[in-house]
Amino acid sequence: MEWLTPMTAVYAAAVSVPLLLLLYFLKLKRREQIVSSTLLWKRAVQDLQVNAPFQRLRRNILLFLQLLVLIAILLALAGPIVSLIAGPARRYVLLIDRSASMSATDVKPTRLEAAKEQARVFIDSLRSKAFFSLRDESDQTMVIAFDNRSKVMCNFTSDKQQLIRAVETITPSDGISSLAEAIVVARAFAQSPGVEADYMSAEEPAQLVLFSDGQIHDLDQIVVSSDELIYHCIGESQQNVAVTAMRARRSYENPEEVNIFATLSNYSETQVTCGVQLSINNNVYAAQSVTVPPRRAIEPKDAVRPGKLAVDFSLSNAEAGVLEVRKLQDSNESMPQPDYMSCDDAAWAILSPPKKLSVLMVTGGNSVLESALQACPLARLDVQTPTQFDTTDPNVLSVEPEYDVIVLDNHVPPTLPKCRYLVFGRPPDGIDVSAPEELENQVIVDWRTKHPTLKYVDLTNLFAAKCHRMMLPRDADVLAEFNETPAIALVRRNGSSFLLVGFDVLQTNWPFEPGFVLFCYNAASFLGTQLGQDRDANLQVGQPIVIDGLQGDTPAQINGPGLSGSEIKAGPSGSLRFPGTDRIGLYSLSIPEQKTRLFAVNLLDQKESNIEPEREIVLSGQPVEAEERGLSRANLPLWPYLVGLALVLVCLEWIIYNHKVRI
Amino acid sequence: MSHRRKKLTDLLDPAFMSRLDAMDVLSRKILQGKLQGERRSKRRGQSVEFADHRPYVAGDDLRFVDWNIYGRLEQLFLKLFLEEQDLTVHIVADTSDSMSFGEPSKELFIKKLTAALGYVSLVNNNRVTISFFADGLTVQLANMRGRNYLDKMADCLLTTDCEGPTNFDSACQQLVSGRIGSGVMIVLSDFLFKEGYDSGLRRLLGRHYDLYTIQVLCPQELSPELSGELKLIDIEDADAAEITVSAALSKYYKRNLTAYCNELKNFCNRRGAVYVLANSADSVESLVLNYLRRIHLLR
Repeated sequence: MEWLTPMTAVYAAAVSVPLLLLLYFLKLKRREQIVSSTLLWKRAVQDLQVNAPFQRLRRNILLFLQLLVLIAILLALAGPIVSLIAGPARRYVLLIDRSASMSATDVKPTRLEAAKEQARVFIDSLRSKAFFSLRDESDQTMVIAFDNRSKVMCNFTSDKQQLIRAVETITPSDGISSLAEAIVVARAFAQSPGVEADYMSAEEPAQLVLFSDGQIHDLDQIVVSSDELIYHCIGESQQNVAVTAMRARRSYENPEEVNIFATLSNYSETQVTCGVQLSINNNVYAAQSVTVPPRRAIEPKDAVRPGKLAVDFSLSNAEAGVLEVRKLQDSNESMPQPDYMSCDDAAWAILSPPKKLSVLMVTGGNSVLESALQACPLARLDVQTPTQFDTTDPNVLSVEPEYDVIVLDNHVPPTLPKCRYLVFGRPPDGIDVSAPEELENQVIVDWRTKHPTLKYVDLTNLFAAKCHRMMLPRDADVLAEFNETPAIALVRRNGSSFLLVGFDVLQTNWPFEPGFVLFCYNAASFLGTQLGQDRDANLQVGQPIVIDGLQGDTPAQINGPGLSGSEIKAGPSGSLRFPGTDRIGLYSLSIPEQKTRLFAVNLLDQKESNIEPEREIVLSGQPVEAEERGLSRANLPLWPYLVGLALVLVCLEWIIYNHKVRI
Repeated sequence: MSHRRKKLTDLLDPAFMSRLDAMDVLSRKILQGKLQGERRSKRRGQSVEFADHRPYVAGDDLRFVDWNIYGRLEQLFLKLFLEEQDLTVHIVADTSDSMSFGEPSKELFIKKLTAALGYVSLVNNNRVTISFFADGLTVQLANMRGRNYLDKMADCLLTTDCEGPTNFDSACQQLVSGRIGSGVMIVLSDFLFKEGYDSGLRRLLGRHYDLYTIQVLCPQELSPELSGELKLIDIEDADAAEITVSAALSKYYKRNLTAYCNELKNFCNRRGAVYVLANSADSVESLVLNYLRRIHLLR
């Protein structure tokens, strides 16, 4: 037998038992009653005392019964249990998935609540070392909640109350689920002995207990030994229609015109007819009824692909604002298809005001490039010589950006204002890119045809007589490669973006290719619009809100789903980061003396919107079956019996009292 | 303060009084009265009713010599006649605090009973003395005779309040030392005396009264309906008794009450006194008209 909460009972006993005795020994406040003579009453009392056997005992029997009732209640309060499991003590790590798909309501109230309930049952079944316990071994358990990040809710402990509290405090998030980090964390903790693990060797592997629906993104990056992971699958249905993609784009030619693209995905086995609504700044602009086809199985393995439907809206004259695409309820009212997940029913996009690009070209003279840029629909194209550019105060360009894109042609400026750059020739300094030598006679071997800057650009025939060898940082995006060095790369540094082209166009045959003009057009469009504010403002769940170029320690206030006026402060380098975007919706950031900035945080994840519970998950080729049986309590709690005993004793006391006072 | 002289009709119903007119107080003993009255006395005296003869001794009144017997026997015999004398009725009522207790109160019952007995006695030309006692004698209306005293009696009854503790023994001592002639003595009380009733009664019995003890108890004393944890306070001496009313305690109370009453009854009977237990909830009329006639206190 074990006691779950012995100290509670001890404290309660320390208070209540003396109180009961005190109450009993307190002189009874008797009602006063006038009689003609107390003569006969006194004789009767004497007779009663003389004649009744065990009189003293009889007087106190109520006290005895009250004490017994109190003891029964106190014992119940101590939470005695009879443990039905045997074997040596173990260490467990509870991994509880709190990602967006766990908010599905196919299991009432939500999958996460069901997972928490199962975790509680599991915790109840653990063996703990406690007062008066016959065994001195106890199970050590740790709780980790994870979505795209993992959070240690409770380190290894055998305190069940602490564990249950830790489980209770897990809140749902709208993030995508990734387990690898959680398992790394769990192992890190498991290898160092916990606070209470006096004797258990750290080598003993902890048992991982996963509560999830099985829709985890990075299963193939996780390696577990057999029997290390126990998986409890939560969820029953895959009925869900989600907005899995949304994009609002201003037309490059006509910035007033906005195209909104959205994709609806249907994960159920029947087609679903529903409405889709577009709102601008909370005003419904358009709605249409669509029929999304059912999901279909695809050949290799039995993977499924959701039925998809593309929806597009077009706005001819759109100002800045917040766009919302929302999937409405099933319009088939007679038999509505349930949609168990609500956080993926809407997506938002922040639309910046219409604007044509202003481009500054810094060149010593490059008519080819200049004419190619002039062909682009720009608001302004200014040309400066390197000397002019270098004498301009870089802070002026940083703080009030006059130009959307700066084209550097064979020029390495000493300072770089914060902007977006298209660089031809030698890459600038201070962005972790070095060009130690020049190479000759390079031909293109590969390029990324799908990248927006290389759309419709054919680089097959590109030959460079001379080019710089670019040593790129690890996070650089290589878009095209020569045989010995990257040719075109995208690097983001210090709040600026650099599209690096590692050669002088005049040293190549590129100006004679039609692809060069297209590349200039794409690059200006990509750097100017897609990398612009829109992109910073439209985030995925879990992506931090980042604002650079502020004064150090600038205070800011952020509002959003689940947040109201949280204060944050820019770091000393002038960059403000807010990582807490784990709920979808609109966030607004107010910085004193600046315009309030809006951020849209969307789920837009096909895998996370798939809420089909997976009975079997495959971790790097190792299948793990979900536990067939649900968790059941392995401990028999004794408190109901004790409460029952207390009730019986109270009844007995009542009967005795009534028997005594009945006349 | 306008003091209206109280009338007897405030206490007694006229119909009841008219029935009382036909009644008289009886004495089991033939007792010596003081004035010539309507009942036989032990004394030979002047009346028309012959009682006995006795030899003449010197100094006897020659008028009562029976000359016919002298003619036949030549011996002087004296004719003796029965003398009719009045009866002394002594009503002793308890007016201590405890009498005011009860619903209906014992006080009213005792006063009505006193009035009824006093009325019967007065209309039959008996000598009536009414004494109230609490801590000793408090009020005494001595030697009343005849209907004239009815109003005085009623006024006294209605103006005397029940108050003060009881001291029965000292009351009896005062009673017997008073020069009230022997006769019928009726003691009305609850007899719940802490110091006991026996020494007081013994004093009364020692004077050869024809003693009647009427114990008046109220329903609250006969079968108390108390419950719970109580502190009982004695109405007279504020003595407190803490009790927890239970079935057993109630049983013992009733057993004690019965024993107490029986003890008093035996005490009286063994000494030739008559004991009557009355409930203050019963009607005085039925007690007087039925029960007291049955025990020959009244006729």
